[in-house]
Amino acid sequence: MSEIWTSIRRTPYQSLASFLILFFTLFLSLFFFNLTSFFNGVLSYVETKPQVTVYFQNQTKEDDIFKIRDSMVTSGKVLSMKYISKQDALKIYRNLNKNNPLLLEMVTADILPASLEVYASKPEYLTELAAYLNKQPGVDEVIFQKDIVEKLLSLTNTLRRLSLFIMVFLLIIAFIVLMTTTAFKIALKKDEIELLRLLGASTSYIRNPFLIEGVLFGVASGTLAFALFYLIFLYFYPFLSSYLAGIPSLSFYNLSSLKLYVWPPSISFIISTYAIVVLFGSLIGFVGNYFSTSKYIK
Amino acid sequence: MLKIYKPLLMIKFDAVNKKFPLGNIALKDVSFEVEENEFVFLVGPSGAGKTTILKLIMHQYTPSSGLLLVDNFNLSSKDFKQVESLRKRLGVVFQDFKVLMDKNVYENIALSLQVMGMDQGRIKKEIREALDLVGLTGKEKFFPAQLSAGELQRVAIARAIVGDREFILADEPTGNLDPKTAWEIMKIFKKLEGDKTILFATHNTDIVNSLQKRVIFLKDGKLVKDVKKGGYEI
Repeated sequence: MSEIWTSIRRTPYQSLASFLILFFTLFLSLFFFNLTSFFNGVLSYVETKPQVTVYFQNQTKEDDIFKIRDSMVTSGKVLSMKYISKQDALKIYRNLNKNNPLLLEMVTADILPASLEVYASKPEYLTELAAYLNKQPGVDEVIFQKDIVEKLLSLTNTLRRLSLFIMVFLLIIAFIVLMTTTAFKIALKKDEIELLRLLGASTSYIRNPFLIEGVLFGVASGTLAFALFYLIFLYFYPFLSSYLAGIPSLSFYNLSSLKLYVWPPSISFIISTYAIVVLFGSLIGFVGNYFSTSKYIK
Repeated sequence: MLKIYKPLLMIKFDAVNKKFPLGNIALKDVSFEVEENEFVFLVGPSGAGKTTILKLIMHQYTPSSGLLLVDNFNLSSKDFKQVESLRKRLGVVFQDFKVLMDKNVYENIALSLQVMGMDQGRIKKEIREALDLVGLTGKEKFFPAQLSAGELQRVAIARAIVGDREFILADEPTGNLDPKTAWEIMKIFKKLEGDKTILFATHNTDIVNSLQKRVIFLKDGKLVKDVKKGGYEI
């Protein structure tokens, strides 16, 4: 450890450059990781909602609705369906507006439409199912969420590609900076390395301090990036909470069984994020210095 | 029954040649043997091949032809890979000391033991004994900038002798020192005599003549004389 501390003191600007580039890479990686995880969570949430919702006219009888339901079940294109009667609709309405008595007044089951929530067995059947429902008698309105899902999917994919591009770009820069600063440090320790060779030191003995330094830089910059990111997040948390009030818990890539929730972030998600960022930072530091020492310490 | 002690053969040069890629020849057909704990002076003018012999033993150079054995290592073999094991048995003292300026006396000497993987307790003990031998007790925390040339060479000697290194290769260790300091350094080497196999390359005629040790004379890369208890005449 004292060797590493001496190395940092002897080359403060080079060490700072390595640290900052690692910090910057990890901070942005953390930002994009959380953002894509969040959008992925939103996408998964939206996908759990009915993909097609059909509202029936007030006078449509339940028997007619069930006929339509049965005809769709036999088509084989429907994964599941849920019938929401007028009474069920009233219950949902009351639950949603329980804190607003004014909205509950004068509302009875008669004025609320019965509906069917339809989940397609394959996304490509959605358009066909919506068209079929639109043609049925007694149908008032068909709400088709395909556009929302597709837009969200497109946004998530764009974000994922953009994140990947930025991360790869930053990784390349980080590797170049790390390799250059390590090469400089090796050049500064030329006499010591030559002496160690004459004393019988192995290549790994000479290389190890550089590799450990890379890992330590990764851990330190990862920790700082994590701390700063969550400080900023905590600052904006009240605003985000009110803005995302209607959205329930969003799981991280459907890993809700591990209690990994992106929103609101669960403790296990925060700990996992820290572990990932530190591991990623250590790996960059180690690999960058490994290549540099492989090239310059023969 | 009378037991006859036969010293072990530690270094063997047999018709060793060293030619550099650009064509200059550093050693021509050099043959000699050094026994265990022997003290040998390598003398000769600049360019005679003294340093080349030491570098061949350290495996910084490889022989172009001939046989070179150091203890159990065959350094003339193309497949020789045990450089680290070999060098852990060699202590080297240079004319320019090769003491690291950003490390104190203790840390400079400790390098030699750390590469061997020794524990801190043993390192401390070994360094204490070495400092006592070279006369630097109490200067463990001094940095090279605070030491005289003679003291720096003592540090280098201490670094070379710690850790049971069997060979001491000294390349003009008194070359940068005034005569008085050079004699003080020689007194340390005298103390090591009989414990280590020492190869001492030098120009210093006074030292060679007064110590009356084995002397190997080199000139233009050739071994011209090998005297058991010799002197040095220019």
